[in-house]
Amino acid sequence: MKVLRITPQRCTGCMRCEIACSYEQSGVFQPAKSVIRISPFEAHTSYAPYTCTQCDEAWCMVACPVNAITISPVGAKIILNDLCVGCKLCTIACPYGTMFYDPDTAKATKCNLCGGAPACATACPTQAIEYVEAESADWLGSFAAERAETQLAQQA
Amino acid sequence: MQEELPGGYAGKILRVDLSQNRTWTEAWTAEMCRTCIGGVGLGIKILWDEVPAEVSWDHEDNRLVLATGPLAGLPAWGTGGLTVVTRGALTNGATNTQANGFFGANLKYSGYDAIVLQGRAPEWVYLYIHDDTVELRDASALLGKDTWETQETLEQMLDLTGHQLSVYTSGLAGENQVRFAAIHGDYGHVASKNGCGAVMGNKRLKAVAIVRGSKALRAADPRGLWMAAQEIAEDLQYDPSTRSLYEYGTLPGVSGLSRLGALPIKNYTTNVVPEGVDMSQWTAQGLREGFDHRGHQCNSCGMHHCHAQVLPSGPHQGAIVDEPEYEGWSGAGWAFGCTDPVATSWLNTQVDRACVDVNEFGWLMGWVVECQEKGYVTKEQLGGLTITWGDAEAANALLQMIIRREGFGDVLAEGVKRASETVGGPAAECAIYAMTGNTPRGHDHRARWEEMLDTCTGSGGTLDSGPPVLPTEMGQPARINPFDPDAVARMVGGTRGRRQFEDSLGTCIFTTRTLLSILCRTLSAATGWDFTKDEALLFGRRTAALMRAFNIRCGITPDLERPSKRYGSVPVDGPAQGQDIGAHWEHLLDVWYDMVGYDRQTGKPLPATLEDLGLSHILADLWDAREATHAGT
Repeated sequence: MKVLRITPQRCTGCMRCEIACSYEQSGVFQPAKSVIRISPFEAHTSYAPYTCTQCDEAWCMVACPVNAITISPVGAKIILNDLCVGCKLCTIACPYGTMFYDPDTAKATKCNLCGGAPACATACPTQAIEYVEAESADWLGSFAAERAETQLAQQA
Repeated sequence: MQEELPGGYAGKILRVDLSQNRTWTEAWTAEMCRTCIGGVGLGIKILWDEVPAEVSWDHEDNRLVLATGPLAGLPAWGTGGLTVVTRGALTNGATNTQANGFFGANLKYSGYDAIVLQGRAPEWVYLYIHDDTVELRDASALLGKDTWETQETLEQMLDLTGHQLSVYTSGLAGENQVRFAAIHGDYGHVASKNGCGAVMGNKRLKAVAIVRGSKALRAADPRGLWMAAQEIAEDLQYDPSTRSLYEYGTLPGVSGLSRLGALPIKNYTTNVVPEGVDMSQWTAQGLREGFDHRGHQCNSCGMHHCHAQVLPSGPHQGAIVDEPEYEGWSGAGWAFGCTDPVATSWLNTQVDRACVDVNEFGWLMGWVVECQEKGYVTKEQLGGLTITWGDAEAANALLQMIIRREGFGDVLAEGVKRASETVGGPAAECAIYAMTGNTPRGHDHRARWEEMLDTCTGSGGTLDSGPPVLPTEMGQPARINPFDPDAVARMVGGTRGRRQFEDSLGTCIFTTRTLLSILCRTLSAATGWDFTKDEALLFGRRTAALMRAFNIRCGITPDLERPSKRYGSVPVDGPAQGQDIGAHWEHLLDVWYDMVGYDRQTGKPLPATLEDLGLSHILADLWDAREATHAGT
């Protein structure tokens, strides 16, 4: 299984992944439409990309009342736009905050792994985002456990 | 039918009249996009059209142009560019100065390519921009705050974090119209030259706060754009001439320039590294690894350039600072004899937070220390302060006096040229400046003649052309003897125009250190034009000539195009010992003027030059008919 592995320590907050993602998803450069998002930590000194981990539980799929979320051949949970009614239940169900709603299309939107060639990983200049073989997509647990040791400084 | 704009552009110029509390937008035309491009190309057109001779830098009708360009917000590296163009406080002439960060990207995602400010607010305000919401808001909660505090306060007020909000402010220095106040944003990115921050303060504009907007940018040929962006990235990573810049930004400058005699040490009094200084700390690796550090890049950039770092020792141990650029290591360090990287790094961020130009600050501190050592400036004048070579804490105490205009700080706040003239006597002979008021960048230009000539003839607050990038592309030799006046003047004149082109794109000058042909391909893919190297250089030279014409109209004449006594002195030691640029000065100017096609007597671009550059429409403004007939003959 290939997953998006994120190494936050490498992220410099350049936001190139958001530009690439929005282009891949919409054909224009519009980070507001990106389904990978960069969050700052420790004042302005650290950044981390975050997107759908394609988790096994798939609360979004469970919550969807019209079965508009399915699994693509590369293992991504994807929205079937023809079926999505824009009710936003999936955005509430997702515990990670990686389901989005696009007011322009009135549909849910999320990471679809770009059909197996994620644009964010290609665009990232520091390999903070990689698309690699892994046993589990869950990189979050170990990152959180190590976080105290890796922060740039104790003070903000 | 509405004319379709080229790709890459947001499409609107945001106009703000602070006196009238009024904002509106203007559309670009496709023709204007191609002839002005953006950045300095757009800014100088606005200055020429709207700022007449009688509107001085502190007149409310002066314009403050905060412009980006067609590549900003797109996926080429380093595309967050801000170019500030205004009539500046140090020269009372044109300003062309850059910062990066996220200004350009965030502004364009809100739908604007530039902000043009005019007037003066009755009370302090900040400009809030989020898509179609543009408001002048009460800034009383921001007054007295430094640049970082201003950004932090706005983040809290607007409940936004990280790059969702760009804040550009002129800090306390701008509030008090310090003549070398800068404009700073996104924690460490500074447009520093010619007192552009003083103009912002004069307008009672505390800050510009831009929320990362929700609008789309389109490229005419997106696949071509991605390919060109990739080509630039690979060139920067793998070409031997740019690889160190890719890995370390400008950090290699200190040790490299010290070996050439071009590192300014103790106010140009020596070019020999003092005994006991461990230069292994000052290599690029030493400076980077000597601190806990982390990348803090600009929009879409893969360079390992801008970093945040933590001070590992000293009285401010644990403080988070912005890793200094070469200019910071120089201006907040070596220029006044500070050879401790930790103290320099701390002071550099204090300078950023205070919001003054670090180059001018360095020349000022070097001058004060030398003057106090020689008894030209007394302890009493400095309010009881003693400052010796390398004392970063005392330099910061002076900095705080300067940005508040307290005591002698009020004299120093005028910049080193005016301060030294005010003190007069032998003190006036120790100061480093160009007679126009242009601030030399942080080198010892007595070992870098190209930059001294470029600084003294520059039209934008410092040098116009900078160190040449791939000069062979412009028909110049790859290398020259740096002390051959003929070759030096030919190189400076012959490479003129490239920098103005770069400064119009909305990108960083470090990520444009690639072939002009690749830059043109990137611009063409974004816009849909068939842009060539020749058009790029023609555009750049046209922009440079228009800046020069503006300055002529402002009364900046060629007799001012020379260095101060100390700036143009002869190095007494070190690798450039005995090299005397002053002996060749007139010849340097003769050759340079001939190369660029300007009139040696009046400084004006010659009528034929104006015609060649597509500036015939300003000929009558510069020349009367009889003069024009004889000029250049």
